[in-house]
Amino acid sequence: MIPIVAFATWRECLRSRSFLGLLALFIVFMALSRLIGWISATDGDIVTTDVVFSLQSIIGVLVAVATGTALMHVEIQQCTLYTVLSRPVARWHFVVGKFLGLALALLCGQLTMLVLSLLYLALTGATVSWPLVLAGLLTAQEIIIMAAISLTWTTLSTPLLAAALSLATYALGHAVHELPSFLTYVRASWGQEMIAWAASLVPNLGRFAYRNQAVYGQELAIGDALQTVIYGLLWIALLVTITVAVFRRRQL
Amino acid sequence: MHDDQAVQPVLSFREVSFTYRGDWMQRITALREVSFTILPGQACGFLGANGAGKSTSIKLIMGLLHGHSGDIRLFDRPIGPPELRRTVGYLPEQPFFYENLSVEEYLRYLGRLSGLDGPRIRSACERVYEELDLGDLRRRFLRSFSKGMRQRFGLAQAIFAGPDLLVLDEPFSGLDPLWRSRFREILLAERSRGATLFFSSHILSDVEDICDHYVIIDHGQVLEAGELSGLFAQAPVQMVGEGPAPAEAELLSGGHWRWIFPEQRRTVALRTVQECGGSILRLERQRQALEDYFVNRVRSSHKAGQALHASDDDNGEAAP
Repeated sequence: MIPIVAFATWRECLRSRSFLGLLALFIVFMALSRLIGWISATDGDIVTTDVVFSLQSIIGVLVAVATGTALMHVEIQQCTLYTVLSRPVARWHFVVGKFLGLALALLCGQLTMLVLSLLYLALTGATVSWPLVLAGLLTAQEIIIMAAISLTWTTLSTPLLAAALSLATYALGHAVHELPSFLTYVRASWGQEMIAWAASLVPNLGRFAYRNQAVYGQELAIGDALQTVIYGLLWIALLVTITVAVFRRRQL
Repeated sequence: MHDDQAVQPVLSFREVSFTYRGDWMQRITALREVSFTILPGQACGFLGANGAGKSTSIKLIMGLLHGHSGDIRLFDRPIGPPELRRTVGYLPEQPFFYENLSVEEYLRYLGRLSGLDGPRIRSACERVYEELDLGDLRRRFLRSFSKGMRQRFGLAQAIFAGPDLLVLDEPFSGLDPLWRSRFREILLAERSRGATLFFSSHILSDVEDICDHYVIIDHGQVLEAGELSGLFAQAPVQMVGEGPAPAEAELLSGGHWRWIFPEQRRTVALRTVQECGGSILRLERQRQALEDYFVNRVRSSHKAGQALHASDDDNGEAAP
């Protein structure tokens, strides 16, 4: 049942206006990014690369939050899930299928953005390297984590609040990455432990922001990359499990 | 509702109660000890005013709501396992569908969820395209569908897998007279195929045409359940006569009178007319529409409820 639900969701997501609209927006902004490279005082190619890869992340997050929150909201508010759940489909199959379909659609979007970015950089004379490809792939995983976060918040609250909470979690997730440097300012050891514990409740999204180093050609060790991928997968599994647990108890 | 205990019911409610959380965590009772049984091949109209508990009952059957007390059984097994719904077709009230899927994609999707293989999905698609005139619309996305078209697609997806039980929530809502008539034909055809029908509707003439059983629910309680033929047999008798009129008769022009009485009083009425010396011109059973019966039944239940509340209030005031 899960692959059947996932495939239909993937198809539905790829055709959604918000998904296609934000992808079009990415292309427009990417085309304009060279302008920023030209007017910048430093190395224009690096600035253009930085802007293009930041766009992939920002627009990816917007797509994930918009599509992730709308996905469950529409299902519940418009009762589209009635025709699915009235079939021999368990609720957890439905949630996992929905998430996998959304994740697949976002992955398609991210890969399209990555390919377009690399082509654009190559055409404009900027350096295209393997670290950039790896950075793009880690950004894609970050976006899929954001989709899982949006899905979880949507089952717990209203869509608008879920979108706000998802974006707040995104900001917190990046702030958490800077925590070790912040902890040196906290004198009490219990305070450090408390902050570190609280930070562990939020996925460290900064781990996936390898693009900041890749732009300057810094390489990432394969072991570190694998560790980050596994870290991301564990967070996705946890968030989807929470969503399933909430959704199973929900009155429809 | 039935005497034959050997036949396993397709659907049964036994003392089912359900409360849900309203605003400010207020507990609202939607169903109170609801009991009824539907046997294979029956067509049962589930009747009730708005807010009576029809949709809640249907959602409980389909596993969309949970946390009820009492026993709900599908095919004589307690509801719960999704597998039980494999041979159930469901049309929700005011159906909405995924906007970015075409009719064909949607039906294939639901067919695969119901466990149908490719050839069976193709033949089922062709059947519902023909029955519901969806063939020309098969490649159209559902976002462009009107309310009536959505209702047609809703019935198509419900009957698509050839279910043993059809649970329909207001199937005739939003249809023009032509499509209402077509829906009636399709439901009768489903019944002839052997499917059991259980549906709620406010259009009681359609229930009369399709169903052989009924359940009336009001304020979350079953008021009455039974066979429609039994209900029609209880229709009052109208006697028109001339000459001396019985005391209870209504006088008409031209020295005629009319007397309406229940079927059980027929013998007494005939004797009364004979005793008073009148002559009978016409004696016939009145055609009683289900709608009139339903309205009177629910109104009398409301009046009884109000009287009970009034007597409770009186008792309350009298108490020290």
